[in-house]
Amino acid sequence: MMPDFTQQGAGEPTPAPNAPAAPVVYFNGVSKSYGRIHALSNVTLGLSGGVTGILGMNGAGKSTLFKLLMGKLRPSAGEVKLFGVDPWKNPSPYAKVGFVPEHEKMHDWMTALEFVSTFARLHGMTRSEAKTEAARVLDFVGLSDVANKEIGRFSKGMRQRTKIAHALVNDPELIVLDEPLQGCDPLARTTIMNVIRELGKLGRTVLVSSHILSEIERITEQIVILHQGKLVALGNLHAIRERLDEIPHTIRIVGDDARSLAKDILSHPAVFGVSFPNETELLIQTYHFGQMHAELPRLIVENGHNVHLIDNPDDDLESLLHYLAGGEV
Amino acid sequence: MASSNLPSLWSGMDRKALAIGEFTLRQQRKRLSTWVVLLVGVAAMGVLTMFYVDAMTRDYEAVDNDGDSYDWDNDGYPNGQEQMHGTNIFDPLDHPGLFDPPIAADDASDWINEDDFDWDALEEGSVGVDDNGDCDTERRTESQKDANGNGVPCDIQIRADRYGQGTFTIESDGNVDEDPDDEAYALEAIHRSFVLAIGKLGVVFLIGIFVPLFMATGLIRNEMTSGTMHFMLAKPIARGEVFLYRLLGFYALAWTYLTALIAALALVAGLMGPGDGLYRFEDLGVWMSVWLASILAITVYGMLFCTLGVMWKHGMVLALPFAAWELGMILTTLGAPDAAILRFSVIGWAMNIVDAGAAMAWQDTPLLIQMGLWGGGNEALEGAEALNVFWSTPGLGLGALGTVVVSVLVLVFQAVACWLLGSTLFKSKEIE
Repeated sequence: MMPDFTQQGAGEPTPAPNAPAAPVVYFNGVSKSYGRIHALSNVTLGLSGGVTGILGMNGAGKSTLFKLLMGKLRPSAGEVKLFGVDPWKNPSPYAKVGFVPEHEKMHDWMTALEFVSTFARLHGMTRSEAKTEAARVLDFVGLSDVANKEIGRFSKGMRQRTKIAHALVNDPELIVLDEPLQGCDPLARTTIMNVIRELGKLGRTVLVSSHILSEIERITEQIVILHQGKLVALGNLHAIRERLDEIPHTIRIVGDDARSLAKDILSHPAVFGVSFPNETELLIQTYHFGQMHAELPRLIVENGHNVHLIDNPDDDLESLLHYLAGGEV
Repeated sequence: MASSNLPSLWSGMDRKALAIGEFTLRQQRKRLSTWVVLLVGVAAMGVLTMFYVDAMTRDYEAVDNDGDSYDWDNDGYPNGQEQMHGTNIFDPLDHPGLFDPPIAADDASDWINEDDFDWDALEEGSVGVDDNGDCDTERRTESQKDANGNGVPCDIQIRADRYGQGTFTIESDGNVDEDPDDEAYALEAIHRSFVLAIGKLGVVFLIGIFVPLFMATGLIRNEMTSGTMHFMLAKPIARGEVFLYRLLGFYALAWTYLTALIAALALVAGLMGPGDGLYRFEDLGVWMSVWLASILAITVYGMLFCTLGVMWKHGMVLALPFAAWELGMILTTLGAPDAAILRFSVIGWAMNIVDAGAAMAWQDTPLLIQMGLWGGGNEALEGAEALNVFWSTPGLGLGALGTVVVSVLVLVFQAVACWLLGSTLFKSKEIE
């Protein structure tokens, strides 16, 4: 059962005292393969409440996971439960679900209001109820001023927000968002992230997938990492990060004179190696990533260097995955 | 808990049905291809109608079948008049004007189309009347007056053929009903041929099969390919319902289109067709059967093509051989309406409905065909061959009304079977 965050006293029947409450999302040893390609292998996972980021490279199995959950695909092995019910050939749990698919194609000839209210009517709402609800959710995602414009004339970010609004129209307990930030401009990104955080605060269970670590980091700490169809990590992102600090890291600095900069930095105890890909670029190897980042600005300024860029080429999902897979960066 | 304001299962269902139906209708309306398909249909029917209008306004040459309007001896008396009075058609000095009292010469045109058909049933026995009296003249011997040997002078003998069902042998005593009104016959026969031809081949077959081919095959498949089906399938609605409601949206458009098209054709043909009144109300029964048959045919084809689209990405490739099969079947209905193979088609059953409707509305058509093909003992009259091609006796041998009832039931069954097949396939389809 979900905690009653809104304190409105949900009118749902209380389960029998001894009956274990079914998790909102439950995967038990689920595999999905297409011939010899394993899109998902032996994933076991139970989620209820809060925002969970599903991280993975393209093709890691995020969309497959969502499609299995939404009854679009049938698992090759294992069982999928949505609110305790097998979603394959059974649309009844979708009454409590909102799904934002990854597909870009929408019904461009409709206005945002028509789009959202048409699908709201599939929840059994009357025409007027649907219109009211559609206006409410479009306002929630910040599209109320363009609600009567055709989707075909929307930017990528506005389209994504329309899709999110369509998924929220039934006030769902579970919201599944497949790559909602992909292709969005920074403003839309921020709006969408705020919407997702807001939903989490409202006590909804939210699943959001992405292949960009920093995006997920800004939304939630609870993550699931998929790699090549396998579940490689599940838990708090910061805990994973801290362990990541103990392994060697690379920092890339682009400046006017890489060699003289290297001289000043090599003296620092946290640095154990440097290399020069070219005249202006310097790569630093360090075991203490956090400490190094804190002290780098001082080192540069004190020694009077001119630096254009500081970058962490391996502070991304790929290196995280490498680390999780084999312990090396 | 008060249940009065709780939505019932049914109200929830029809809200969803209306939502998807309305959505589908609006989606079709926004597509250019919809308008192209519908306009091509109207244009095709329009061209056929222009041929018909031309046929109705053309002059038909009145043919003097027996050549008795000629005046070979140039004495001013047509051969027919001379023969009737027993004067010599080759002697200009022998003609009825020399009788006492003299008989005035007829105009030559009086001896063209001078002896129309007088029979009103296709029954065995003696029919026909020698209207102008050129059979029962003193000049002719008794055996000439009873050339068909049935003991009745100056009549036509009809015999049902022993081996050919519904075919007749027509034997005239000569100069009986030998010179019918060619134009009246041609107009009536061509009018009926047109109504049957455009009704069967045009509306029921061409429109009935091509509109769903282009508009129903993609109803589910296009949404699956583009990914937009994900929106609909993430809602608490069974896929079988989505399948049905999508088609209902298509039917709303297709049925309206057919109704409007048939109404327009019925209006034009009713006003242009031969008849005493302003409008040919006697055709309405045929138009209604065309309407019923086309509505049912488009319903079955829509279900089937939508199912083929769900079955395979290239559903059109599966639909085309089927359309070819149906074309073969409709050609079969024209020649052999009772062929058993027609049971394995959609169009065979739809044609049964039109044939039965025509049999009820125009009961004298078989007679009209036999008369025209006999044509006064000479060659067939204009329009008779066409009417013979497009007219078929309803093939089930159940009588007209029984044929309609059985055919409607079969077509409804076919539509339901296609729906069950399609929604079962769709239910077990994985959506990428």
